[in-house]
Amino acid sequence: MNRRTFWWFTIPSVIVMLALMVFPLITTVWLGFQKLLLRDLNNPEWVGWDNYRDVLSDPEFWAAVQFTLVFVVVTVPASMVFGLAVALLLDRIGRGRAIYMAALLLPFIVTPVVGTLIYEDLFERGGLVSWLWEVFTDDAFAVSASNVKVLIVVQYIWYVMPFAMITFFAGLQTLPEERVEAAALDGAGFWRNLWHVTLPHLRLLVVFVGLISVMDAYRVYDSVFVWTGNRFTEAHTLAVYNVRIATAFDIGRLGKGNAIAVLTVIGIFVVLIPFLWRSYRDQIAERT
Amino acid sequence: MILLVVWSVTPFVWTAQTSIKFTRDVASKTPVLWGYETTANAYRNFWLDSDDVNMWGVLAFVLVIAAIAAALGLIGRRARHGWPWFLGATAVICVALWRFPRFWEANDEYDFLVNSVVVTLLTMLISLSIGLLAGYGLARYTGISGAVILIVALGFRALPRTAFVLPYFFGAKEIDEWLTSTGVGSWNFPLIDFPGIDTLQVLDTRLAIVLALVAVNQPFTIWMLRSFFIEVPKEMEEAAMMDGATRLQAFRKVIIPIMWPAIIATGLFTMLLAYNEYLFVRVLAPTEWTLPVAIVSLTGGESSRTITEAAAASVSITLPIVIVIILFQKHLVRGLGAGAVKG
Repeated sequence: MNRRTFWWFTIPSVIVMLALMVFPLITTVWLGFQKLLLRDLNNPEWVGWDNYRDVLSDPEFWAAVQFTLVFVVVTVPASMVFGLAVALLLDRIGRGRAIYMAALLLPFIVTPVVGTLIYEDLFERGGLVSWLWEVFTDDAFAVSASNVKVLIVVQYIWYVMPFAMITFFAGLQTLPEERVEAAALDGAGFWRNLWHVTLPHLRLLVVFVGLISVMDAYRVYDSVFVWTGNRFTEAHTLAVYNVRIATAFDIGRLGKGNAIAVLTVIGIFVVLIPFLWRSYRDQIAERT
Repeated sequence: MILLVVWSVTPFVWTAQTSIKFTRDVASKTPVLWGYETTANAYRNFWLDSDDVNMWGVLAFVLVIAAIAAALGLIGRRARHGWPWFLGATAVICVALWRFPRFWEANDEYDFLVNSVVVTLLTMLISLSIGLLAGYGLARYTGISGAVILIVALGFRALPRTAFVLPYFFGAKEIDEWLTSTGVGSWNFPLIDFPGIDTLQVLDTRLAIVLALVAVNQPFTIWMLRSFFIEVPKEMEEAAMMDGATRLQAFRKVIIPIMWPAIIATGLFTMLLAYNEYLFVRVLAPTEWTLPVAIVSLTGGESSRTITEAAAASVSITLPIVIVIILFQKHLVRGLGAGAVKG
């Protein structure tokens, strides 16, 4: 395909991305240097690095950073290991696989805010889990500042595990059976087989799932927002904290919000740049 | 395995139960797990405007429509040219949505359902049409600029919504102010004079939500479609072009027909994204909500009455998407497999 045809095919998409992604990003950086309040949007005022100073000296920001990091570090490996285990199990099931898969996929396809709401319902007063808790421990169970972080993490793993599961499952379908059988003939047990045959086959998928999971966990908004609302602000992740600062009723500080957004973007890129660079090299290599 | 299913399904069963219980059973301290009286009050309160409607009639109507649409979808999944069937299924649903308020008096929530459907369909349509072109171009072109676009798009995939939603909000506001100050906003276009639209604006419209969703979804769409296009041998369109077809014709007549599985898979993910979106809708559309925002707004109160209503709403919003996914489960799995291996 020559260059001209390529651009004709690609230009609509490129225009959308330029107008609605590149341009807004530049606006974000610009707004980060402005003093701009939600109730008075017409008078932005250049304040230089003030917003950044404000953010970096805000203990709530550091709390959000800390919880976001913990959140990523816990949920990503947990959901991947869990997802791989379930995929291996699902791969062995012959009959009724489609039904099992549909049931296991449910948490992932349900609207995240709704999924969180119904999960939370189990723990609220009169909910199934809080009732069981009361039966066994004689204590009333309530969602509180001390346990909400754990609940957020558990619920997020519940929500996101099917993604790892279904991707690994799709990968397992392309694993040639002869290789597993050959390994078994050589006397390889389940673990050796997993380590030397299955995992190398899934290598690319593991990287893919890992990257996507890190991106998604890092910017999680919906479920954390539903769990915490304005009740447990100390369990806010970066995205929730960011939106709260920028759109809080009457005191929304758009300038500061944009400064946080810029810092968030820098954060994810520090992690991602090696991977982006490597895929760029791969792409170039593919072409020559 | 059974344990796993319990782990993932329990909340859904619990909520489905709550949605058909009477308030007294929901409020009781020990959960009433079985033997309770059932009622459709919560559904009636959430969707309809009057208290004395026989919900069996509504249920029958919904079931008939769902059955027709599902049947059309199933046929389309097997057909070589799927699109007339999918179009038919969509048309059935749209007509049903449009006629429903003539039979039963509907609530505000009904408008949010309509918004959800409109936003989802438009996002899928726009996203897929420009994504297919770009995905094809990127799969066939071997210059450096292709690689640059792909990598930049991959970078955008990583960006949080928060980096976009504030400038979108600010930009939409600026455009609206410009429209008002120049007087363009109050122009009257006879052809697009939909009821409920009296001024031209961006903020708080379905259009704003659709544009935002198309944009953030674009990187994913082009990566996924590109990985499918790469699988298609070049010879296919080259043969057609030898016979005198232009590249665009070859693309339309030869490539698209064999791309149905890819289009369905990518469409499913786009549908999930658009139907489930919360943050963009909340910030960009203070009144033109879609269903997720409507449901979250219900849960401010703590009374058992709103708990049953929220449960009914949750069930109503979940069921359609679950039915669609179950119908096309195979495509979803294959899509993730294909997209992943290449990405």
